[in-house]
Amino acid sequence: MSRQAKRGLLGISLVLPSFLILVFIVVLPIIGSLKESLTNDGGGYDLSNYKFLFTDKLMRSNIIFTLEITVISSLLVLAISYVLAVYMRFNNGFAVRWIRRMYMIPIFIPTVITTYGLMQLLGNHGWAARILYHLGQDSLPRIIYDMKGIIIANLWFNIPFTTMLLGSALSSVPDSVIESAKDVGAGRLRIFWRLILPLTYKTLLVAVTFVFMGVIGSFTAPYLVGPNAPQMLGVSMEQVFGVFQDRQLAAALAFFTFLLCSFIGYFYVLSMIKEEGMRRS
Amino acid sequence: MLNKKKALSLTAGLVLAGAVLAGCGSDKKAESAADGGGNSTSAPAASSTEFTFYYTGSQNVDDLWKTLIPMFEAKNPDIKVNPVYVASGTAAQPTYDKIMAAKQAGKGSGGVDLYESSIDDVTKGKNDDLWDSLSAGPIANLNNVDQQTMKDVSNLAVPYRSSAVVLAYNSDKVTAPPQTLDELYDWIRANPEKFAYNDPSTGGSGSSFVITSIYKFLPEEAIHNSDPSIESQWTQGFDLLKDLGKYVYGKGIYPKKNQGTLDLLASGEVDMIPAWSDMVLDQIAKGQLPASTKMQQVTPGFNGGPTYLMVPKLSDKKDAVYKFLDFTLSPEAQAEVVNKMQGFPGIKLSNMPQDIQDSFKGVSEGYRTFSLGDLGKDINQRWQSEVAAQ
Repeated sequence: MSRQAKRGLLGISLVLPSFLILVFIVVLPIIGSLKESLTNDGGGYDLSNYKFLFTDKLMRSNIIFTLEITVISSLLVLAISYVLAVYMRFNNGFAVRWIRRMYMIPIFIPTVITTYGLMQLLGNHGWAARILYHLGQDSLPRIIYDMKGIIIANLWFNIPFTTMLLGSALSSVPDSVIESAKDVGAGRLRIFWRLILPLTYKTLLVAVTFVFMGVIGSFTAPYLVGPNAPQMLGVSMEQVFGVFQDRQLAAALAFFTFLLCSFIGYFYVLSMIKEEGMRRS
Repeated sequence: MLNKKKALSLTAGLVLAGAVLAGCGSDKKAESAADGGGNSTSAPAASSTEFTFYYTGSQNVDDLWKTLIPMFEAKNPDIKVNPVYVASGTAAQPTYDKIMAAKQAGKGSGGVDLYESSIDDVTKGKNDDLWDSLSAGPIANLNNVDQQTMKDVSNLAVPYRSSAVVLAYNSDKVTAPPQTLDELYDWIRANPEKFAYNDPSTGGSGSSFVITSIYKFLPEEAIHNSDPSIESQWTQGFDLLKDLGKYVYGKGIYPKKNQGTLDLLASGEVDMIPAWSDMVLDQIAKGQLPASTKMQQVTPGFNGGPTYLMVPKLSDKKDAVYKFLDFTLSPEAQAEVVNKMQGFPGIKLSNMPQDIQDSFKGVSEGYRTFSLGDLGKDINQRWQSEVAAQ
């Protein structure tokens, strides 16, 4: 066997385990649910489940609701995390030290506990309402059982990890680059737009992928603090599968959610390929 | 050069992963070995049988079995009960499907030796010929049960406890609770946002309110009809529920699970809810609900009734299961049902200690037993699209 062939075989054998895991855990179930979602009541195959997904008033409002929450949450998480990460990177002092110690805490609190905590805090007769009442404010706007509640929960769940990601990207921006830019007279804004943002752009993309996928598939918080209708897709999927026992429709919902995620994943992969191409040339 | 390095690090990674996995594997082996060892020391008779018991309900049901099973095992060291708790509402159906599928595939009872569920599953299983016919021969305490109840289920299930949905209200705010369904609707309209019922797909008390409201407009005997043709008569009931939507808590917020509405009552956000009597009594006793909480049954009543234990016909551990059922129906175990979860005992009250008999004085059997079969699913579906999403 030639050296070339040997190395080729080694390469394949190294890739094979992860490839097989991917096939059995990801690809086959997706094909399975695609097939399931295309099955109609009579046992034949057609697009009736997908048609229902986009024509039924309830399902359509569920999809729009999910997308709204996902987009708003993602944008807010990114904005807040980025500001926090930049602040921690370029400042040093009492506040920064404390933020650095505290901002990871939400990661260690289980989702359900956080959600119940939020309900206690923001509910109609919750802590926030009671404190506001003593300050002379009569009523709190409805937060629990509303879109706002889900978004607040999403912020809590996603900001710590995103800040950590962005923080590590920002810390790899060398001080020397920034100082030399300052030396040639670049202003703060210019340094941000021309240096910092481009250097952390890729991590930003990774972060948005994580947040988007995490939020779109979330269940606990939307189930407990969300409204009865419209629901987020995860909650609706559970209801369609577990309560109405319409497996085909649940599969269609799952596949549609997968498509939404892969849409975001596509941009991520695209930028990775571009990056690889640049490195090679 | 770089490639070689990459390959090397990859191999190293794989070896590491392999080692970790192997570690996990051996851990598991060690664990099961320890398990085996434990068993053999605690049960030297070696004839120990283990049967699997699937039950469903709210947390209080789980707590009850977590008390009863050790009591039983202490008395019968040769029998081990393997409890499988399935959370209420959404997850119960798959257990029935599992037993059914195992039967169709010729694979015995699918690993389920005892199953706890409502009257709907008893009836369904009767038609599918799933349940074992029970007699007082192996289960002596079956004689303690009201024979009429046993006849109603053709001896296919053991009614081991009862509970009913009632109105729970804050007696500080409500002085004259509604006595009939119509009075209840009037009360809801007259006190906007002070009444809540939970999403019917997530718990029995909300489901009871929805079903009772729908069947209010149908003839009395319709509550035992599981024929889909009756669905066309639901419209009037759904219109009522849609109209009530404006008056319930948050102008159309339906909390999740039985506990969701109880929380609202406890925090004072609402003054009246439909709730399971056992949950209300239990939570008043534990101080989770204020002592001012009172209960009221309306006429025609909300649904309620016994919860049943069924033995799949194809189970191969029936002898052990019979012993367990016998224990469950003993006055000692039934006292736990009363004390632990404030349920009504499954056996006739005359078999219970005097103090328990006294505590049930005046609790009339105001509830009605509904058996709608699969129709409940359709009600939930229609409720979701017509009432929740109006």
